[in-house]
Amino acid sequence: MSKGKKSTGLSRRQFISRAGTGAVGSVVLLQNCVSGNENEKTGEEQIKFKLTGTNSLSLTVNGKKISTKVNENTTLVELLRDNLNLTGTKVACNNGECGSCSVLLDGEVIYSCHMLALDAEGKSVTTIEGLMDGEKLHPVQEAFIEEDGLQCGFCTPGQVIAAVSLLQKNPSPTKTEVMDGMAGNICRCGAYPKIIDSVLKASKKIKT
Amino acid sequence: MKEFKYIQPKNINEAISVMSRGSLPFAGGTDILSLMKENLIDHKNLVNLKNIQGLSKIEKTNSGIRIGALTKLAQIAKSELLKSEYRILSEAANSVATPQIRNVGTIGGNIAQRPRCWYFRGDFNCLKKGGDYCYAEVGENKYHAIIGGDPCYIVHPSDVAVALLALDATLTLESKDGNKDVKISDFFVGPEADVTIENILKSGEIITHINIPRLPNNSRSAFHKFSERGVWDFAIVSIGAVIEKKNRKVKSGKLTFGGVAPIPWIDEELNRNLIGLPLTENSILKFSKEVMKNAETLEYNEYKIKLSQGLVIELLTKFI
Amino acid sequence: MGRKIIRSEYHLYDEKIDTLAEVPESELTELPNNKDLKIIGKGIPRIDGRDKVTGKAIYTFDKTFKNIAYGKTLRSPHPFANVVKVNTSNAEKLEGVIKIIHADNTEDIGWYRGNSKLFDKVARYEGDEVAFVVAETEVIAEKALSLIRVEYKELDFVINPVDAAEPTAPKIHDSGNLPPKHGHRTYSRGDFENGIENSDLVFEQEYSTEVAIHNPTEPHCSVVNWEGEELTVWDSTQAVFGVRDTIASSLKISESNVRVIKEYMGGGFGAKLEAGKYSVMAALVSKEIERPVKVVLDRREMNLAVGNRPDSYQKIKVGAKSDGTLMALGLTNYGSMGAYSAGAGAHWPLRTLYKCENVKTSEFNVYTNAGRARPFRAPGHVQGTFALESILDDVAERLKMNPLEFRIKNFTPIDQDSKLPYTSKLLLEAYEEGAKKIGWNKRKTAGSDKGFIKTGYGLASQIWWGGGSPPAYATVKINSEGNVQVLCGTQDLGTGTYTIIAQVAAEVLEIPIEKIDVLIGDTQATPYAPSSGGSTTAPSITPAVYDGALQIKAKLISAASAMLKLTEEKLVYANGVIHEKGNNSNSLKASEIVKKMKENILVAKGARNENTSNYALNTFGVQFAMVEVNTLTGKVTVKKVVAAHDIGRTLNRQTLENQFHGGIIMGLGYTLIEERVMDDYTGKTLNTNLLDYKMATMLDTPEIDVIIVSETDELISAVGAKGIGEPAIIPTPGAITNAIYNAIGVRINSLPITPDKVLMALNKEV
Repeated sequence: MSKGKKSTGLSRRQFISRAGTGAVGSVVLLQNCVSGNENEKTGEEQIKFKLTGTNSLSLTVNGKKISTKVNENTTLVELLRDNLNLTGTKVACNNGECGSCSVLLDGEVIYSCHMLALDAEGKSVTTIEGLMDGEKLHPVQEAFIEEDGLQCGFCTPGQVIAAVSLLQKNPSPTKTEVMDGMAGNICRCGAYPKIIDSVLKASKKIKT
Repeated sequence: MKEFKYIQPKNINEAISVMSRGSLPFAGGTDILSLMKENLIDHKNLVNLKNIQGLSKIEKTNSGIRIGALTKLAQIAKSELLKSEYRILSEAANSVATPQIRNVGTIGGNIAQRPRCWYFRGDFNCLKKGGDYCYAEVGENKYHAIIGGDPCYIVHPSDVAVALLALDATLTLESKDGNKDVKISDFFVGPEADVTIENILKSGEIITHINIPRLPNNSRSAFHKFSERGVWDFAIVSIGAVIEKKNRKVKSGKLTFGGVAPIPWIDEELNRNLIGLPLTENSILKFSKEVMKNAETLEYNEYKIKLSQGLVIELLTKFI
Repeated sequence: MGRKIIRSEYHLYDEKIDTLAEVPESELTELPNNKDLKIIGKGIPRIDGRDKVTGKAIYTFDKTFKNIAYGKTLRSPHPFANVVKVNTSNAEKLEGVIKIIHADNTEDIGWYRGNSKLFDKVARYEGDEVAFVVAETEVIAEKALSLIRVEYKELDFVINPVDAAEPTAPKIHDSGNLPPKHGHRTYSRGDFENGIENSDLVFEQEYSTEVAIHNPTEPHCSVVNWEGEELTVWDSTQAVFGVRDTIASSLKISESNVRVIKEYMGGGFGAKLEAGKYSVMAALVSKEIERPVKVVLDRREMNLAVGNRPDSYQKIKVGAKSDGTLMALGLTNYGSMGAYSAGAGAHWPLRTLYKCENVKTSEFNVYTNAGRARPFRAPGHVQGTFALESILDDVAERLKMNPLEFRIKNFTPIDQDSKLPYTSKLLLEAYEEGAKKIGWNKRKTAGSDKGFIKTGYGLASQIWWGGGSPPAYATVKINSEGNVQVLCGTQDLGTGTYTIIAQVAAEVLEIPIEKIDVLIGDTQATPYAPSSGGSTTAPSITPAVYDGALQIKAKLISAASAMLKLTEEKLVYANGVIHEKGNNSNSLKASEIVKKMKENILVAKGARNENTSNYALNTFGVQFAMVEVNTLTGKVTVKKVVAAHDIGRTLNRQTLENQFHGGIIMGLGYTLIEERVMDDYTGKTLNTNLLDYKMATMLDTPEIDVIIVSETDELISAVGAKGIGEPAIIPTPGAITNAIYNAIGVRINSLPITPDKVLMALNKEV
């Protein structure tokens, strides 16, 4: 376990709920509609939106077995975001051209927007939500915070997943190997130099 | 994407039988999904090829190497066997798109992919789609063909095909009429023959294997893809080279080109001129001036001649 | 700590923005330099980092409700057409379609400052909105779009601004393609012709740049929901208050009935500084169907319809003395506004960056049948600085002067319009440090490198605003556990706003940053702050946070004085604890104090100070680039960029570096590969996806060094920070372009400098 710099790991949400600062209205309460984002658990509960899928699909997502129904033209990312409410994985181009939707499929990093959900039958998917160990961050996540490998954060889940995959295959990459491995993830904010630093730091963390 | 039926055959015979009734073969899907999302192809029925066994191996054979068409590009890129003996193919596969695409895309799909021309992929009823004319001929054509075009000026986008052409590969095709081997140079179809297609695959026919003959003993091979960005981009121009060296000269060689023509391009006369070429800076420079000398460029792609020549210099210099 | 209300005037380009603002009456104690501070200036990890790396951050893109409906927009496929008839009958029959609105069944709502409507019966670009479908799912809404039958009458179109400015061009608006007032703008000072007469060298050149698209990673999106007459809008926006005001006036309701919330957003770069038509359309339908509506633009819409950096066709004429003194600068520029009014100029750098008495500019902001421009990270300055620095580089060489010496020779210590000195201009220091870091003396004669791969060095300077202004407020609260919350109606686009706010509060109150929560971007819960554009956020809000925190500190001391029955001079505040001087055990923690207050909370509202009117408020910097050009292929590789800037105080070293990296990499993409490509014959855009619209990738990343030459800028505010987002990108294209020239000895005067342009330029010489 790394003894690196302590990351300010406090989630803002946790802080607000504990702080009791009396900021009335800072948490939005609405009468006639219920937030769809509250349930962030995976696999335990399937939030039924309006996808009336006709094909059965069984797969493992973040370690939990899921049985669900999808349409033929449902993509893997739609399954993850809409059926399973795992909104950590983002869709920025919907055509396999940017990497924001990257997830691990049987350990390989792929574009989940550019794959049919049915093609994940019997396979194991890991999303950004599946990297933590309880409340403990994955070393790659820690490294991204410490080295500031992000700005707006929208491409970040995809970057982190790509980094996890890269380091699983090559635990001691050179800078060039990091760049090649992360090449399939666009960052419009331009955080590339610090993404490189984050992955190199993560590789040191994982080794110790 | 529109709705479609997704058929999941368990073996190749089932697959072929379904496909010959008009279903689209679907492997990695990295190209087909884009075509479906843009509604560029009729996709009422899709046949999933991925569960068919035995089509994703890289095997040594008596005559060379045999690669299953469903082998992923990532697998081809990291194969030690290919890196040492058929480096051109390894480099070509490794230059495709990004790691994520290579983890899903298959070699068969890469060879059979459709063009990237932005008129073809866009809201234009172009010649290739059954319309009246080619929008690129007089239009935004900096990425288009400089040779072998007319009446359509697409460039074939497959890097792997350029490598396989230099390797003299044959493709095994299978249909309900059985299987047959086709030289890769006979697989692609130029626009003057039939503008609506890029290869000879019929409905109900798929590539099952790629067969590569053994290379002569003193051969080295390399692939060089030139693109505007560091990654993702399709080749502006790419070069494949298989060179047999002897006494610092080329004994025999094949240069092939991508990004210049509607099919992966080979110039027999140019390759004949390779024979006996001394591998020195000066003679390579002189030789390069022969490259693409028969090109018929469009308004914005004249640079591809110089680019092709420059890439040949770079590539042959590696063999010095 | 009294307050007053002033008329706050600030300048952005030629616009003078005039509002009332509450400001502190007197100046606040200046913050010491960073080396004497505990947390400001340090590269602490951003406080929203954990939410982002775990995927827990909810963006508007993720926001949803159980009974939500989805909206999609039908857009004109033609560059210019009358919308004759919209037939939605087939679409309405599709199961799951809830409501379709268009011009014929929707009240006229003015848009584009009254020059058009929400649904105009004239479609003026490929992408102009024609109808809006709301359905049970996105898939159904998309399908419905394809079932709507629209009869268009296609018109002759024009897409190039020089063509469009011709009187014979198709008229995009009734008043013609050059709107009255800002269609043609001129500026002059001194006597340009005289300056030219008295020059030893006169040189004229044309430059061009292409349209670039912002393409933030998170698409534009809104989620809207009504509760009775009150509307809540979750929006991916840089301007919560601006969006609120536009939506309220469009719907003809009071602003107090509209609440706009932006918690996390995935980038903006200027494209998200205004309300989207889609938000108003969604609100109209949502009210009628009494359900929340979500609308998310796809990548094609992002490339067509939500803004761009205009192109530029510039002709610059320079007159200089043989010793390098600039005698005259003249510019004519044509820029595409797109189909509706927008800024498309580029003259400010030429007008302000270097010393020159005689300046004359003439700019044409032209309507074209293409997507309308929106501010894009240093609007005008990027195009203008590229051309200006290219021609000055050229002139310097013709005068046989080192380009750096030439820039130094024409340094101006004052703003040449107002004649006011700058609050700070450490540009000469930036030149010195930057030149040393890149190794400027390694620069050789242009094109002299042997071999196919040639190395070159180039530089460009920048000027920008970035001083910020009032009104900007921040509420600071402390509770009975000693936890602090700062509320500020600002935005964090990835710029690090959350973190710098927490840092300022933590520094003043001397408490750990973990005890500080920051809430931004909520028009109801957070007090007003300006839109996050123009690099105004940090310099506007950090002084407000500073003021609010100082007030809390003062209140705590005052309360401690009452509780301990000691006068304030006998008390010391340290680390959130107040103790008697010389008697540490007689102390009170902040939490204990607040517990003693009936309401269990202490609140203060901080405000940004008034701006000085005795100085010009600007930022300055220089970038040096080192490139390699492969003359066989035309490929340009940027190996290294050194950025040296005067931006006041560094608030967070790590997020600042990241911003500079981002600006430079975006500038690199703009210089070498980004451009919107339109087909001349059909007026349609050819590259509407992220494969064909090429943005810089990981493999295009150069080595970057960021040097900040300033410690603070006390004349701006007590915090002394200025904005950095735009300074980061402005000099990059000029520096890279000049480096390319130095490498190959051939000038390329049009961006982007793609390999084909390099090859053609090299072979033209041969």
